[in-house]
Amino acid sequence: MKKITLLLFLFVFQHITYSQVISDKVSVEFKNANLQTVIQNIEQSSYFKFYFDEKWFETDSTIISKQFKEVRIAEVLDEVLQNTSFNFYISGNKIILTNNSVIYNQLPDDYFGIPLEKDENGVAIAPVFYQQYDSLKRTNTRNPNKNTKEIIAIGKEVKNQKKETYTLSGYVRGGKNKEVLSNILVKIAGTKFATTTDKNGYYKLQVPPGMSMVETETFSYDKVTKKIMVYNDGTLNFTLIDNVNQLDEVLVKTNKNKNAKAAITGVTTIDTEGIKNVPLVLGERDILKVALTLPGIKTAGEGSSGYNVRGGKEDQNLFLLDHAVLYNPSHFFGFFTALNPYTTKKVDIYKGSIPAEFGGRLSSVFDITSKTGNFDKFQGEGGIGPATSNLMISTPIIKGKSSLIIGGRASYSDWILKSLDDEKLKNSQASFYDLIIRYNHKINANNDIESTLYYSKDKFSVSSDSLYKYSNRLATLKWNHSFNEKNKGSLIFTNSEYKFNIDYQTEGMNSFDFGYKINETQASVKMAYLFNEKHKFSYGISSKLYAIDPGYLNPKNPESTLIPIDVEKEKGLESAVYIGDNFKINDKLLLDLGLRYSSFAALGKSTQRIYEQNLPISDATVIETKTYANNEIIKKYGGFEPRIAVRYFLTADFSVRASYDKTYQYIHLLSNNTTQSPTDIWKLSDLNVKPESAQQFSLGFYKNLKNDELELSLEGYYKNSKNILDYKVGADLLLNENIETELLQGQGKAYGIEVLLKKQEGRLNGWLGYTYSRSLIKLNSQFNEEKVNDGKYFASNFDKPHDFSAVLNYRFTKRYSFSSNFIYQTGRPITYPIGKYDYGNAQYTVYSDRNKFRIPDYYRLDIGINIEGNHKIKKLAHSFWNISVYNVLGRNNPYSVFFVTDKGQIKAYKTSIFAIPIPSITYNFKF
Amino acid sequence: MKYFNKISLLLLLIFTITSCTEQYVFQNTDFESALVVEGTMTNELKNQTIRVSQVYQLDETGPKFETGANVYITDDQGNEYQFEEKDTVYESISAFKAEAGRKYQLKIRTKEGKNYTSDEQTLTTETKIDNITATVEKVGSESGVQINVNSFDPTNSSKYYRYEYAETYKIVAPVWSPLETSIQISPAIPPDLENGFPGAPASEYILISQRKKETETCFSTKKSEDILLNNTNDQSDDRVHFPIRFISDQNYIISHRYSIFVKQYVQNLAAYTYYKTLKDLSTSGSVLSPKQPGFFYGNIKSVENPTEKVIGYFEVSAVSSERIFFNYADLFPKKPLPPYYESDCEIKDYLDCPGDFPCRQAVLRSLIRTKSRTYVSLNEPWTYFMVKAACGDCTTFSSNIVPPFWID
Repeated sequence: MKKITLLLFLFVFQHITYSQVISDKVSVEFKNANLQTVIQNIEQSSYFKFYFDEKWFETDSTIISKQFKEVRIAEVLDEVLQNTSFNFYISGNKIILTNNSVIYNQLPDDYFGIPLEKDENGVAIAPVFYQQYDSLKRTNTRNPNKNTKEIIAIGKEVKNQKKETYTLSGYVRGGKNKEVLSNILVKIAGTKFATTTDKNGYYKLQVPPGMSMVETETFSYDKVTKKIMVYNDGTLNFTLIDNVNQLDEVLVKTNKNKNAKAAITGVTTIDTEGIKNVPLVLGERDILKVALTLPGIKTAGEGSSGYNVRGGKEDQNLFLLDHAVLYNPSHFFGFFTALNPYTTKKVDIYKGSIPAEFGGRLSSVFDITSKTGNFDKFQGEGGIGPATSNLMISTPIIKGKSSLIIGGRASYSDWILKSLDDEKLKNSQASFYDLIIRYNHKINANNDIESTLYYSKDKFSVSSDSLYKYSNRLATLKWNHSFNEKNKGSLIFTNSEYKFNIDYQTEGMNSFDFGYKINETQASVKMAYLFNEKHKFSYGISSKLYAIDPGYLNPKNPESTLIPIDVEKEKGLESAVYIGDNFKINDKLLLDLGLRYSSFAALGKSTQRIYEQNLPISDATVIETKTYANNEIIKKYGGFEPRIAVRYFLTADFSVRASYDKTYQYIHLLSNNTTQSPTDIWKLSDLNVKPESAQQFSLGFYKNLKNDELELSLEGYYKNSKNILDYKVGADLLLNENIETELLQGQGKAYGIEVLLKKQEGRLNGWLGYTYSRSLIKLNSQFNEEKVNDGKYFASNFDKPHDFSAVLNYRFTKRYSFSSNFIYQTGRPITYPIGKYDYGNAQYTVYSDRNKFRIPDYYRLDIGINIEGNHKIKKLAHSFWNISVYNVLGRNNPYSVFFVTDKGQIKAYKTSIFAIPIPSITYNFKF
Repeated sequence: MKYFNKISLLLLLIFTITSCTEQYVFQNTDFESALVVEGTMTNELKNQTIRVSQVYQLDETGPKFETGANVYITDDQGNEYQFEEKDTVYESISAFKAEAGRKYQLKIRTKEGKNYTSDEQTLTTETKIDNITATVEKVGSESGVQINVNSFDPTNSSKYYRYEYAETYKIVAPVWSPLETSIQISPAIPPDLENGFPGAPASEYILISQRKKETETCFSTKKSEDILLNNTNDQSDDRVHFPIRFISDQNYIISHRYSIFVKQYVQNLAAYTYYKTLKDLSTSGSVLSPKQPGFFYGNIKSVENPTEKVIGYFEVSAVSSERIFFNYADLFPKKPLPPYYESDCEIKDYLDCPGDFPCRQAVLRSLIRTKSRTYVSLNEPWTYFMVKAACGDCTTFSSNIVPPFWID
């Protein structure tokens, strides 16, 4: 109402001419005065009278200390109101204060219908404020039920400042806990002004001056529309309300905005909130296990900790947890993922084109983001399952400014094992835990700091004599800074460590302690520059220092015949610079151009062997051993990594994308187990181990059907890679001082077609995926010992041509839903012993060609029922039950097939891990 | 909470139980036979031998010799050395030796008419064993005899060595007696009614007699089974000091007199690598990581089908051999002998009478019949002192033939 009164004033005064008959100079002194006192002082010491609404000052915290002597009133007010949202208008002895708006003493030229110039976005430039208010008022009177939204004034108007756009910024929060929401589209209705929130829920949007409708758009929350009156740069926060119909039903939310607009192929986002209905073993909510049901992402076997993405090896995936490398993202041989499901926000998986900001691995990037703690109130979430329990607590430290989120998870299997009567089980061990702490601090609108600390530890024994331990540790510190509307940057420091240790206790004297450790520290700067509507640049630089302790073996018994071994440490520096341009040529055609240059220097102190040229690398062909001083460069490698992606809309809901990517990898995982194990070791490139490189070409078609209800995608890829590490027949990798003598570097070739049909909404939702893919490797040489399978391409350990998965959910009522998933995969390749022969005075086994045979096919069906607690709003805790059965069909899927020579007979055995249906029940709660 | 614990316990039990290992019947229909050729031709003038066999199935017992093949070696001067089948090997009809600088090739034509040929091989550098030493050493916590091979190649071109040895040792049975027992049968005596003799049925009795063959001192010979390899690549000199054999001072084989015959083959790099791979693959991997299995080729190829799998290596190698002897008493003066082959040489007594304990006629006679115990002495009436056969008769596990090379 006040504003309308003001408007009336405005009409009254517009014909009053400014007169300067009476002195307009005042002398006043303010000491820690607020605005109200200031006004009172001026009124008392002069003849001026102020007109304003007292309510305005309730929220104003301006404190003024200043002395004015015979200063013109306009200058005094200019200074006093400088940092407030108030403007003033002097008319005679009357001073009218306005909040936000400026009082104009004449009507704009176009007030009576002369059309305004419009800019390219279809928005008028000139201030048309009065008319907008007028028309608004008229609309309201005519149609009182409609459009009665409050108008929010943004910014303080500055006279004679005519900018095309102003910056509107703020945070978007939502849900029961008012957590910050990322990737929420914020736009001005009917225009092209749009942006998305960053991962802190912060957005910055260019808005036209004047009246606009701001909207948010997301799938899980109700749409919010706000009317704004833009005078200048300002802030506007949104609080979104859960969209009850969709929450918990959307399983994998491919970021629609990204999908529709981005040019890159093969990117998937998995949101933790969405996956809680998928039935999983022992009821563990596991974001990476869900990834395995998507085309192109596989694991070599149930219980294998490695992932194979588009025919790449286990070590070719970059797992990032809040920007730091997570070397082993799994617990207990991969049965569990080492990520707390309640602190994990989402994972972006890049399996096709990888943005230029990422590098160092050939096949994929798993960019895992943790949740940001609640800035306003204390909250928590937890789950109690049959094997582990989880708890997450989030609390503000300084209300509205900083928050802390802590997540912990521990298994209690060890305690259960100990309470058993069986002597054998009693002595076995299996336990793990992980802990994550994340701190966010908003310094101001342009600066914020975030930090993550993470630790995970596993301890288990597979036989009574050996105790395995491994741990991941990482720490990150990130400073985000906005230089201006167009330039943003982050400075990131990370440190990661992975180590394992084997404590081998035997009856005899040969007990030993074996260990391995890798540590890396990285500093990076990532910048974003929104050049204009067509070009969005990103660029940055990073450098990473590796330190590897490749292993030691210490006999525990002084009488032992074992010789202590301490393999020489490895050091390396990996650096990269990148630049990317998101270039929108027109509405249909979008290019994503990226170029990365990476380099690697293997550093001393080290001794490196030089082998005779043109001869196989072996102990027998060493010609020289060279010694390098500390930090002396042993060998440098490097190369350009172009990343090019293009998107073209054939029709509004049918797009085609193509991409080309090149990647380099300077660190290699040595593992001759068919599946990744925690005792596999990472090795840096050096004089004798060349970096791996890969190129991927992909092409995809994306079509939305039935009014976007169904999404169908078809992607094909062809990948070739060089210097892929493999092993000579008979290779022994652990504690090998000269590991290069056991290694082969060959060519890899992978190709495949991935089909995915997704239905995100409705009672029945889920997805169906099918992949046909091959992953082949060729190890050829002029020397027999370096040749595998006659130097021809052969199937890699994880080549599984057919892969089908279906994840389906059906919601009966708001509280009950049913979910299921089915997986079928071709059995993985294996090398069999095929015969025996006598040679010298002993008997030997003949093996088939490498990976000539396959273990039986894998298939599994899991089902689950989810029961949500009642939907009363006022409740201490919201709860959620999950009852699921893993492997309902009781399929005896072989995990591994191995051979044992028993009394001169070679026998084959297969091990299955979950050969019968495994029921589990998990209780989740939230407060 | 209590209820919950029970559930988790149950689930964990299921989890533990379900991770099972069972025997897996894998189809061996893909069994491919492959020719196995083992041939080391040397610079010794002798009848050279080549072994040719076939791969056999995993559930078969081998070896499966390849018979009826035509085996011959050719050289680059047009010579052809024919081999003939003898027992389980092919032996050259005439004695010949590898000559330096010539290129040799092994050729095989099987009875099915398939042809195989090796790469060309030349004789490696001739490097003689300087000596073999046997010294008392402590390796780790064990003390014993360390046998080392020493050699030196001043030309620095030998580099890769493979060794074979044959050890021969004297065995003396510790509880030996010049007498032995045997079961004899006295035939049935028909009744002599005239003299009022009712007759007697056939019966068994124990006969104690002088031993007819040597059973106190024996000689056993064992050949090395492992592949023994050495290279001097990381040394500036081509000097070998190779620990070929370590015998614990608790091993009975050195109790009296021991001899080892060592053969040193100088190999080329390719042959060395082949043997090394064979060795690496046959030794089981460490506790921590298994070995990479797979098929690997030697230097023999099928003429008709170059991708056919052929196992084995034909090498032309300079060989040098040496033998040493030593006595336990010389190396370990005044130390007790190591435990005997059979650790339980306790003498047990058996009362030869029918019926219940203490009579043990049935047991005693069965032991004598099966030769599982030998005679030590006799105590009247009918108590036989017996010992495990190995303690009284070394021929039960060794041979009483004195090897021709043996020098006492």
